Amino acid sequence: MGWWLSKPISGHQSEDRSEIGDGTLDEAVRRSVVTARLQDLIAWGRKNSLWPLNFGLSCCYIEMATSLTSQYDIARFGAEVVRGSPREADVIVIAGTVFMKMAPIIKRLYEQMMEPRWVISMGSCANSGGMYDIYSVVQGVDSFLPVDVYLPGCPPPPHTFMEGLLRLQEQVGRERRPLSWVMDDRPVSRPLMPSQRDRKRTERGQATDLLTIDRLPVTELKQEKWK
Amino acid sequence: MTQTAIVDDLCNRFGAGTFGRQETGDGIPTVWTTKERAREVLGYLKTEVERPYKMLYDLTAIDERVRRVRQGQSPSDFTVVYHLLSFERNEDLRLKIPLTEQVASLPTITDLWPAANWYEREVWDLFGITFVGHPHLRRILLPPTWQGHPLRKDHPARATEMGRFYLPEDRQETEEAALKFRPEEWGMKRSRETSDFMFLNMGPAHTGTHGILRLVLQLDEERIVDVVPDIGYHHRGAEKMSERQTWHTFIPYTDRIDYLGGVMNELPYVLAVEKLAGIVVPDRAKVIRVMMAEFFRLASHLVWYGTFAQDVGQLSPVFYMFTDRERIFHIVEAICGGRMHPEWFRIGGVAQDLPEGWDKLVREFLNYLPPRLAEYDDLVMRNAIFKARTQGIGRYSTAEAIDWGVTGPGLRATGFEWDFRKQRPYSGYDQFEFDVPIAMHGDCYDRAVVRVEEMRQSLRIIEQCLNHMPEGPYKAEHPLTTPPIKERTMHDIETLIAHFLSVSWGPVIPAGEAFVGIEATKGNNGYYLVSDGTPWPYRVRIRTPSFPHMQMVPLISRGLLLADLLAILGSVDFVLADVDR
Repeated sequence: MGWWLSKPISGHQSEDRSEIGDGTLDEAVRRSVVTARLQDLIAWGRKNSLWPLNFGLSCCYIEMATSLTSQYDIARFGAEVVRGSPREADVIVIAGTVFMKMAPIIKRLYEQMMEPRWVISMGSCANSGGMYDIYSVVQGVDSFLPVDVYLPGCPPPPHTFMEGLLRLQEQVGRERRPLSWVMDDRPVSRPLMPSQRDRKRTERGQATDLLTIDRLPVTELKQEKWK
Repeated sequence: MTQTAIVDDLCNRFGAGTFGRQETGDGIPTVWTTKERAREVLGYLKTEVERPYKMLYDLTAIDERVRRVRQGQSPSDFTVVYHLLSFERNEDLRLKIPLTEQVASLPTITDLWPAANWYEREVWDLFGITFVGHPHLRRILLPPTWQGHPLRKDHPARATEMGRFYLPEDRQETEEAALKFRPEEWGMKRSRETSDFMFLNMGPAHTGTHGILRLVLQLDEERIVDVVPDIGYHHRGAEKMSERQTWHTFIPYTDRIDYLGGVMNELPYVLAVEKLAGIVVPDRAKVIRVMMAEFFRLASHLVWYGTFAQDVGQLSPVFYMFTDRERIFHIVEAICGGRMHPEWFRIGGVAQDLPEGWDKLVREFLNYLPPRLAEYDDLVMRNAIFKARTQGIGRYSTAEAIDWGVTGPGLRATGFEWDFRKQRPYSGYDQFEFDVPIAMHGDCYDRAVVRVEEMRQSLRIIEQCLNHMPEGPYKAEHPLTTPPIKERTMHDIETLIAHFLSVSWGPVIPAGEAFVGIEATKGNNGYYLVSDGTPWPYRVRIRTPSFPHMQMVPLISRGLLLADLLAILGSVDFVLADVDR
């Protein structure tokens, strides 16, 4: 399928007609017919409409909620459809500390979600207990839930959450699942997701100019834009 | 040690032999008495004494069994501490009751102060001290299946000491069964003549509760007969954590108590440590602290504003307000390097000086926010539906507020002008010009009115900080300032060792006790520190405003509709980490 992004044409007809096409039958077919394998199409759909469960535990949830708001706007990635019911949600974000008193409830919520379902562990507490190695805190949600993506940070800022969501999308897009367990009992095949630390190592190693604490970082440019 | 008039008064009334006096680092009169006299003395202080102590500000305990430095104190295994507050005197009073391990019990005071109910349950839960006559003495923070009392010194602190956590099917079932609500246990009836009640479980995973809070509602159709809040889902053991962190490395944990309050949480803690250590903070550090704390008051109130409007059905305001909050975080990030939890105050000052160009950022923000606030007045506060949903809902009087331990905007909305920044200025607040907004009806709408006006006052304070930022050091020149000043090292081996020790161990804070409470975002947040002359605290008691505020929710919800409860929860403005710690 051929596709393109058209620019808004203001008033006059645009000189550049490449966006509009040449009007041949061939092109009309390319514009309106898509061929794909069903499993690819479903994976593509799943990937771009991951609906999160409206569920938060502590501080991290505030940052997760911030990613829904205007400046970050998670709707760009099709994940703004926050669901109140676990039955309608695709992904549960463990946003915050996993308390022992809360663990059975988290597990119940997860069990109420329909397959396919994914888990994002957001922040140090959910990853490993973080700074709370204390009697009332479970040391990592992965002791009772299968986690797909781990996000570092205390709390991870909204852009880290969105990065994590994109990583999950990448995984979901490459996952291969049988269309129905009735027809096909093959297991789910999940792609191997390399750690971001390894993936970005070279790029990060090239940084030579580190910010000092005595002057404002480059984000001052952003400040100009606000006016 | 000036406020001793009350101690003399007590001695005249009950006989000098009844009381032992203790000197503390904060000047709060601290007296010891026996558990037999406790109720009598507390009753006298609440009702009979001239200019009475009407608020039970805090009730907690200390496990004294391994404490070394206890001069002038009655011998005890456990000490129960009552912290009373008199608004008429503008004074506090601490009453301590010694208990032994064998007989760790004393009579309840729930009939004197309704607020004592949850505090006594908490002390039972965490220390295993029994309050005889308490109507529902059961666990409040920990799961009902829990064994042991974690704030006892012999209870393990780390989860990793307690074995790996497993959640197999049978444990899942046991835990869930233990959380099941049984109305009979709370003395509730299942029906009345005309109808059966419905028991509705709201939370702990519910979007209207602003976090993991569980409320069990007894409903007669849509009308609330009673509410039983079940808290403790967010109990992170911050107080126990303090006992193994150094004085310095506990600072990050304070940020996460009221996680919308950021550096505001650090302020009472560092002020209390400085009181114990005798550190005088330089003016620049004070003003920087005030400025950052007020930024976080704004940030917290913006979150409250947006979510409150959302609770009663307005979807757009929260998007505007979070955008403003991002701008605050832009400044916070530029100055502190972090967003929600900057961990930026230090014992004796702040982590670093303001960066070059900070003033421009702040000035731009000061020009930016006021017109937005004016717009929000039209959008929210003058909105007819918003008014209809909040006016006359969730009302309480000043007397009720004081009886239940309410402070902050919730108290000022009842017409009582009491702001700790004005009444007991700390960190140089007496040098600032600002008003204390109040409202008269004590309902959901008025609590909103107070907070909205408070945001304008915060802007005023920030503007004064900007215009009059003093020059000078950002850290005190005191040997216990942490991290120590680098210029003092590198002279000889002695200075190097001293520096190395206070960086790696942290400072050794002199033995003693000190309390500091401040006007935080949600109300009065206080830290009561007990030092045993070690590099870590012996006990840190964190008195948070949200705990008593949450306890009051049933009182102001009864008889209203289910939908009103969401307006009440929104207007109370609590943070679950601030309730459960």
